[in-house]
Amino acid sequence: MIRIMQSACFVSAVFAFALILSGCSPKESELRGQELFDLHCAVCHMGPTPDLKKRPPRLEKLFALKQLPSGAPATDTQVRKTIIEGLRTMPAFDKRLSDQGLDDLVAYLHTLK
Amino acid sequence: MNLQKLVPVVLTGVLLTTGCQSSTKRYNLRGQVLEKSISTSEITVKHEDIPGFMPAMTMPYKVKDPAVVQELQPGDAIAAEVVTANNGKDYWLEDVRITDESGRKSAKPAAPAHRLEVGERVPDLPLINQDGKTFRFSDFKGKALLVTFVYTRCPMPTFCPRLSSQFAKIQNDLAKSPEDFAKTHLVTISFDPKYDTAPVLRKYGLAYLDNDPAGFSHWDFASTNSGDLRKIADAFGLEYFEEDNQISHTMDIVLISPEGKIMKYWATEWTTAELEDALRQQAKTVSTPQKPLTPRKAG
Repeated sequence: MIRIMQSACFVSAVFAFALILSGCSPKESELRGQELFDLHCAVCHMGPTPDLKKRPPRLEKLFALKQLPSGAPATDTQVRKTIIEGLRTMPAFDKRLSDQGLDDLVAYLHTLK
Repeated sequence: MNLQKLVPVVLTGVLLTTGCQSSTKRYNLRGQVLEKSISTSEITVKHEDIPGFMPAMTMPYKVKDPAVVQELQPGDAIAAEVVTANNGKDYWLEDVRITDESGRKSAKPAAPAHRLEVGERVPDLPLINQDGKTFRFSDFKGKALLVTFVYTRCPMPTFCPRLSSQFAKIQNDLAKSPEDFAKTHLVTISFDPKYDTAPVLRKYGLAYLDNDPAGFSHWDFASTNSGDLRKIADAFGLEYFEEDNQISHTMDIVLISPEGKIMKYWATEWTTAELEDALRQQAKTVSTPQKPLTPRKAG
């Protein structure tokens, strides 16, 4: 029993240490994601967009439904793909966001209710 | 608090909560002035990120107070408010403050490119369209051309996506008039040839053509090598440069006559209807082949 507790403590300590090293709590990731969202996404998806051929969909509850507005499954992988490659009239953000930035953005999109 | 004092407070509260407020939005801008034009009351600013409005880039802004433009000099670091109205379609700077004048001497005025005058013939350099086919402006001799410039990764809805959306409307409107459709053509040229290859342009074009490739017969999406692109851009007055994987650029639309001459430029303000009318007017200058006259019978 003592050995099990020692192992559990060790695992917890390693996990906590890894979190400290990464300096990246989920909350911080979401905050960074919100900054990226405000900068790159909100101007089309959350505001008025005059003269555009098609109004971009709003992104609240993006992950609450099984499907994205495009009809594709609402998964992190699919959302990342759409951001990187673009979709229809949505421009590709290829090379404009880092992997970390994409992670942060997707983390924030999960919080939109 | 007596009643007299309470009324203004309540009224203010009601006004605030009923949405009785201006439809304008305001954003803080910080950047450096690169160019200024007193005649148009415009400055070109290299600015930092403006969350909710625009990522960091270099672009021209109208300044509400022309006197401010006189005072500003290239190189000045400034802080200002970007004011947007009409759903973000119109925007300008207010409350411009110079925060640092020390850069004035180091700023180099940009050498203006030689833009062709109205009436001059357009350069006939090769362009490659969305199908990988090479064409030139001279291939459309006898048709009125409307030409603009975009890059497919442009994230600003009031820039390239707006231009392409406007061209899509013009394309659809013209398709309802077979005679005008036959005498006109649209060309969108990318100034991002490294990324905007033929397949990328095809995918981009299809999004604006309701996924109907037949539309390419009246609207080409083109690119070319960087050298020829710069020559075409200079000829049409387009300014662009790449910065942090984003391209800062001006917006330019050019109307070319059926004889291949520059007829009109739009660079700051226009409407879709204005572009369409001008294109239709140019199309009307193309003579329609007439039926041979039937000789009158004598007698």
